[in-house]
Amino acid sequence: MTVRTSNRRVAIVGVGYSQVARNSGLSERHHAAQAAIAALADAGLKAGDIDGVGTWGGDAVDFAWMMGFDRLKWSLNVGVSPAFITPAYHAVQAVAAGHADTVMAFRIMMQQPSSAALAAGGAMLGAPNPGDTQWQYPYGDFSPTQWAGLLMNRYMHESDCTEEHFAKFAEVQRNWALLNDNALQREALSAEQYLSMPYITKPLRILDCDYPCDSGSAVIFTTEERARDLQQPAVFVDAMALSAIHDMNFEILPDMVRTSPAHCAELLWSRTGLKPSDVSTAHLYDGFSVITLQWLEALGLCPPGQAGPFVAEGNTSLGGKVPTNTDGGAINVGRRHGANFCIEAVKQLRGQCGARQVEGADVSVWANAVGPFSGAMLLTKD
Amino acid sequence: MNQPAPPPLPDDPSTAYFWEGTRAGELRILRCRSCGFYVHMPRPVCRNCQSMDLAGEKVSGKATLYAFTETHKAFHPFFVSRVPYLLATVELAEQPHLHFLTNLVGIAEADVRIGMQLEVAFEELSPEIVIPVFRPVAAMAEGSVAS
Ligand SMILES: [Zn+2]
Repeated sequence: MTVRTSNRRVAIVGVGYSQVARNSGLSERHHAAQAAIAALADAGLKAGDIDGVGTWGGDAVDFAWMMGFDRLKWSLNVGVSPAFITPAYHAVQAVAAGHADTVMAFRIMMQQPSSAALAAGGAMLGAPNPGDTQWQYPYGDFSPTQWAGLLMNRYMHESDCTEEHFAKFAEVQRNWALLNDNALQREALSAEQYLSMPYITKPLRILDCDYPCDSGSAVIFTTEERARDLQQPAVFVDAMALSAIHDMNFEILPDMVRTSPAHCAELLWSRTGLKPSDVSTAHLYDGFSVITLQWLEALGLCPPGQAGPFVAEGNTSLGGKVPTNTDGGAINVGRRHGANFCIEAVKQLRGQCGARQVEGADVSVWANAVGPFSGAMLLTKD
Repeated sequence: MNQPAPPPLPDDPSTAYFWEGTRAGELRILRCRSCGFYVHMPRPVCRNCQSMDLAGEKVSGKATLYAFTETHKAFHPFFVSRVPYLLATVELAEQPHLHFLTNLVGIAEADVRIGMQLEVAFEELSPEIVIPVFRPVAAMAEGSVAS
């Protein structure tokens, strides 16, 4: 006897955000409800149409009951994992397998304490493995900005990338954000301004980090058949991959340049007939700027070691070879923990991006996380 | 105002070998007694041969610098008076990719070079917490001349 599963083509039919803001004063449930309502309206679906829920942040069953969703055929709460791609990936599998028909995937992310609050002793960041902190805290290693500083320095050592390239990256992303009314950071920024900012963990500066905020994001997945009856142009999942290569100790990764995205990209391209040269737009995690550069190389969108010059030459800008992070990235739209990359990819493929629309976009890749683990999804127009 | 205390160690008997070692001036790393593989961070099983017979063992204290970052912001009260400080990932000489997170001391950030040879030293944060830190081999030699 085997578990009965289908192999159905899966589409994204609705996307939505909550009222994303710095210290919004709203609860996780508020952000989930606002994002769910926005995604349902975008799709033209009713709450009762949703029969599966996956989330990172809050509780899937709690959200489903609160929202008046149908009885769930499938639900999932994910913990520490590669950001929004995890609930999204499993939502696709649930629909493909026929275990649910219309699934909502959430990422609800509440703002973390500031470094000033941490230094004053009033707060601590959560640690994925408390026992391992005895090999970190005594050395003053508390913040993800510190492993990011290690990864940046090692990456610059092994590649052609310089601090000036990171400065250009910040400028390019901000230029995209200037075209996005929903970005939280919307003042012009030059590479020179970036270079004048103080270090947090040299060579990392504050403009290398995603922008802390409270955010709720929701994406609705359903079958091709249902998608064709709905109001939005359907966007299809062509391929996807999750990878994990190491435990959560970023600081002692054996190789800080070819991390999980290298493995993930290999898996992704082995599951599709599409090639890196087919990609119209890329939406690559920028929790720290070096992560986007790692993904550009891992996915084969630029040659190894060349992501810095590739960005500085304008290849990821509007009109460039691979327009990347066209919403401005989480550095500018605020930390939505990967969901903004999925949602922006969908909007590009629908042709709904207005001033920042990439003409003729028909294949988009979005990718999350770095280091120990990561995930990526390839989306196509009909 | 009193100097804030360093972050306390967890109550973790499985890592006593390490902290007893540093208090005795030794860097000890968990090693598999079946195949000789070093395991850090400590785990109850050897990822090379799956044996569960592991014990802390003194290592040479020689290492190569793999990555570093200079921390300018304090993320904990104890480190407010210590910024900027150098956080470093070093590869211990005993085994390829045997990475250890530490502080780099006795060198200015501008002089740090990935790949440089390092040697362990010990710094007392409190009577209980003695940490292995690393410094350039040359600085070590100067230090011994001076003493
Ligand atoms: Zn072994």
